[in-house]
Amino acid sequence: MKELFPLKQVMGFVFSLVLTAVALLVHFMDMSFAIGITVLLITAFMQAGLQLVVFMHAGETGDKKSIYTNVFYGLLIALITIFGTLLILVWDM
Amino acid sequence: MKVDNSLPLEYSTEENSLKILGFWIFLGAEIMLFATLFAVYFTLENRIGNGPSGAEIFEIAPVLFETFLLLTSSFVIGLGIHAMRLGNKKATMVFFSITLLLGAGFLGFEIYEFVHYVHVGATLQTSAFTAALLTTLGTHGLHVILGLFWGLFILIQINKRGLTPETANKSFIFSLYWHFLDIVWIFIFSFIYLKGMM
Repeated sequence: MKELFPLKQVMGFVFSLVLTAVALLVHFMDMSFAIGITVLLITAFMQAGLQLVVFMHAGETGDKKSIYTNVFYGLLIALITIFGTLLILVWDM
Repeated sequence: MKVDNSLPLEYSTEENSLKILGFWIFLGAEIMLFATLFAVYFTLENRIGNGPSGAEIFEIAPVLFETFLLLTSSFVIGLGIHAMRLGNKKATMVFFSITLLLGAGFLGFEIYEFVHYVHVGATLQTSAFTAALLTTLGTHGLHVILGLFWGLFILIQINKRGLTPETANKSFIFSLYWHFLDIVWIFIFSFIYLKGMM
């Protein structure tokens, strides 16, 4: 039975619950927008990284380099799309 | 077909490795899809017209249940893949079944949430904000619905054929998809709900 619950993944799950709890502080405590959004950015990207490495086994096989290149390229385009849109349409720069 | 036994079953042939890499590339495209939805949402979130704002309609309880269900399902399918690598067919199927049940639970809460939104007058046509919100949530929800059927068919195949390089490969790719949906949900949870209620 124990062999079905590898420590690495159990710890990953516990850690993701902790990160969710920390993110929730933003809702239950009185924080300024700047601090709140910083907390959310940190917890969200840490959660994503955790899923990628612990649960999706991204760095474990020979195609590691291709996988990370692909994910970071997707992320780069995502961030350019989102912040480019915000810059032009919301922040009016 | 050359089978390399030093690698996990899902990677054991060249075709299998290429399929996994191909699916990662698909996920790269999915990241960009959801990025465009987030860009639209962040642009329109304050354009509420005569409709309600996010802070007025978001409820923390169902969102918390949804988050917990999806996080747990993501963990459980990870255990499923681990059991698959141990060659334990029964445990794999049990973990996959629990994953799908948790996914169905998530969907139940999301449907409740959508009914609630319509009830308080936040429909797809109410304002730019509600349109962007429901499109983003709906796209994620549709992915989950698709995942439920996909997972169900994979379960049926494992049951019929056992853990072969083929079924293991399909299961692993499905687990990547499921974890990806969890990642997208974390961003929805953080930057739509929590940010909206801040």
